[in-house]
Amino acid sequence: MTELTEAQVRALAEALALPMTADDAAEVTHRLNAFIGALAPLADLPADGPEPVPAPIDPDGA
Amino acid sequence: MGLDPFLGAARLAALVRAREVSPVELVRAYLDRIDRLDDRLRAYITVTAEAALDAARRAEAALARGGPVGPLHGVPFAVKDQFATRGVRTTAGSRILADHVPDEDATVVARLAAAGGILLGKLNLTEFALGGTIRYPFGQPRNPWNTDHDTGGSSAGSGVAVAAALCAVSLGEDTGGSVRSPASWCGVSGHRPTWGLVSRHGCVPLSWSHDAPGPLGRTVEDCALVLGIVAGADPRDPLTAKRPVPDYRAALTGEVRGLRVGVIRELTHGGETEPEVRAAVTAAAAVLGDLGATVDDVSVPLLPQAGAAFMAICDSEGAALHLSWLRDRAADYDEGTRRRLLAASLLPAALLHKAQAARALIRQQLRDALTTHDVLVAPTAHRPAPTIATFTTPITSTREAAARFFTRRSFTTPAALAGLPALAVPCGFGASGLPLSLQIIGRRFEDATVLRVGHAYEQATDWHRRRPPLPA
Repeated sequence: MTELTEAQVRALAEALALPMTADDAAEVTHRLNAFIGALAPLADLPADGPEPVPAPIDPDGA
Repeated sequence: MGLDPFLGAARLAALVRAREVSPVELVRAYLDRIDRLDDRLRAYITVTAEAALDAARRAEAALARGGPVGPLHGVPFAVKDQFATRGVRTTAGSRILADHVPDEDATVVARLAAAGGILLGKLNLTEFALGGTIRYPFGQPRNPWNTDHDTGGSSAGSGVAVAAALCAVSLGEDTGGSVRSPASWCGVSGHRPTWGLVSRHGCVPLSWSHDAPGPLGRTVEDCALVLGIVAGADPRDPLTAKRPVPDYRAALTGEVRGLRVGVIRELTHGGETEPEVRAAVTAAAAVLGDLGATVDDVSVPLLPQAGAAFMAICDSEGAALHLSWLRDRAADYDEGTRRRLLAASLLPAALLHKAQAARALIRQQLRDALTTHDVLVAPTAHRPAPTIATFTTPITSTREAAARFFTRRSFTTPAALAGLPALAVPCGFGASGLPLSLQIIGRRFEDATVLRVGHAYEQATDWHRRRPPLPA
């Protein structure tokens, strides 16, 4: 996934009716691109691993 | 006898029961310290002085009558202002909830009161427990060891209040490290319970799949005492476990002989970990070895990815909760909180699902490591507390955002992602005089083993006995 531009981030926020100042937009763009960069290597994780349930499942306990 | 407010909850509770210390005297002593010190430290958002004194008088009368009293009888505690308190405002550290007064107590608050504890007040936190607050609406919390330095968060006031003896013990909430981080940087003990062990009812939520209320104390025994009181099934939190609650204090035998301790290689010896932290944690592991545990290194390869995976999941869950306020009251958020929630609101769904997949794999890798080891140890934080200014400057690049948000979170978020119990316990001081911390992670619902190891380490060292350089 390529990095997002500030204009794209503004457009996304507008589509979701989320108000955003100019300073917000600049920083949110850096934050989103940091996510994209950090999560990109996860694309190579094995697809046949454990199912991605959000919370721990403990069939023997809770 | 003279009062020592640094004694901690377990010892003070014993002295109160023996009628060697009066609850009224104890409450007054802490209120006096709050009056003198908290203008600078900003641990508290709300101090419930009159209600605390009334409760102390009732506690004293109950002692005079004789008969059984609770395990925390007459002991002043304080809770993160994320927990509902009946008739006392509960702000979650935000202007948005500045006038919010709940009509019932959170389950954990009610249980502490039923055990005889006396609520001293509500403690400061990063806004909505999210972390990254730039300007705290109720004052900047400061590290008692050096007030120019950060406290850790989000349970900032919970760490400060215990470290500065502004209460005997406190309750925080750990989503991705929010108990352990302030415990680490403020030089006290803090325990993240197994997810599902402690009720979240009445806790302002951040991330349903991570949130875990937990104690901070001057000793591991204080954490065990409070955990024993707040843990256990709650019909108002259907995700709490129904299994019986063990006697956590009875587990503190001082004995670790035969336990297998794994030092997590990626967190202890990784390039992000400062040398003095690595040295302190390595020395702490050696102490456990001297006490009879078997200690070796263990690899959990995905842990360096934990911070980013955690933030993608936690922040997305938080953004869903905040969507309406983000639209209608955006200006009422601190800018750091708002930008974090906005970024999460725009995160592509495919990336979120990759983060969930990483979470499942991290959970599996930790479970595998805990098959061959009873507990895992690592630094709680990769460095001692940085200056407050470190986290308040604007972010001007993607690289800076990644470094600021993901790196440090890779140390505390693995246990949160996997729902495991994890304890932070003081293990030294850096060259700057700031505390360092050992993290002990255990199997699900084996909190007693984690506390046992932490207590044994604590008894073999004296880091927890040191006090910050505050006026007497």
